[in-house]
Amino acid sequence: MEFNDRDLIASLKDESTRERAFQTLVNTYQERLYWHIRKIVMNHEDADDVLQNTFVKVWRSIANFREESSLYTWLYRIATNESLTLIHANKRRSLMPMSDASEFLMNNLTSDPYFEGTEIQKKLQQAILQLPDKQRIVFNMKYFDEMKYEDMSQILDTSVGALKASFHHAAKKIEDYLKNSD
Amino acid sequence: MGKMDNLKDKNSPLSNISKENPFRVPDQYFDNFSARLQTRIEAETSIVPDQPNRFIRILKPALGLAASFALIFLLVYWPIKTFTPTQSAENQTEDSGLSYMDYVKSLVEEDDDMSFYALFDNESNETAISDEDIADYIPVHTSEFELYAESYYK
Repeated sequence: MEFNDRDLIASLKDESTRERAFQTLVNTYQERLYWHIRKIVMNHEDADDVLQNTFVKVWRSIANFREESSLYTWLYRIATNESLTLIHANKRRSLMPMSDASEFLMNNLTSDPYFEGTEIQKKLQQAILQLPDKQRIVFNMKYFDEMKYEDMSQILDTSVGALKASFHHAAKKIEDYLKNSD
Repeated sequence: MGKMDNLKDKNSPLSNISKENPFRVPDQYFDNFSARLQTRIEAETSIVPDQPNRFIRILKPALGLAASFALIFLLVYWPIKTFTPTQSAENQTEDSGLSYMDYVKSLVEEDDDMSFYALFDNESNETAISDEDIADYIPVHTSEFELYAESYYK
């Protein structure tokens, strides 16, 4: 189903058409956002919570959307922030030092009943989990989603140059991890 | 994009790993997601705080503080004010139902006992009248007729 972002935003801001437009928005973006979130939080239950939180936030604040960015980048930004919020909340709840978050997420990965990849794919995910949160997000968005740096810059509010550097370092670390784990 | 080209190099470990998504979701997850989301939004929307309750909630701390001060006043200040000695002396005469005249009489009566005995002592020393004084007094203040009348009719 093709739609125009501008028309969709206008429908979302109009109270008489908001509900129907919101339904369209959810159907259009739910899968893309879900996978983006899932790669950050590493398990399905958390990803489901974050996806719901993301759309609830969109529903509450759509009237105030200033349209300075595209709808797509705005949604991704909310989803990314909500994912990081959940990770930090889980760290606090488990009384874990911030540096041990990778171990926490590693447990999510190994205990996830919905992970159906090969051993080498699992090893790659483990390598990605060694990265700091934001660097991990940059790598996922570039490597798996093949997103443009300009779009990533709007979503993550980081310059293109910093993103390129971050991706370069992330890829280097992952390669070293995979070579050393053989 | 330089790094991406490097990753595609056969020597890079990443080049040997499929980019296929290794994660799955429960069956019909995306089909049902929209309905579950709608249920949640409706539930959260229906819980709207009433304006008056919200107002009271904001005022509650201030009201609590005012109530605390009132309680402190009743438990501490008022009893101290009521039962301090300077206050009780004034209150006693009023509280016991005595009138002001009764009070004065009691003072006078009390004083009279002491002063009565004192009077005796003072008069014997200071107010005694001699015979000569009497003799001088009678002719001045009494006529000859009165004197004879009194002695004749006694």
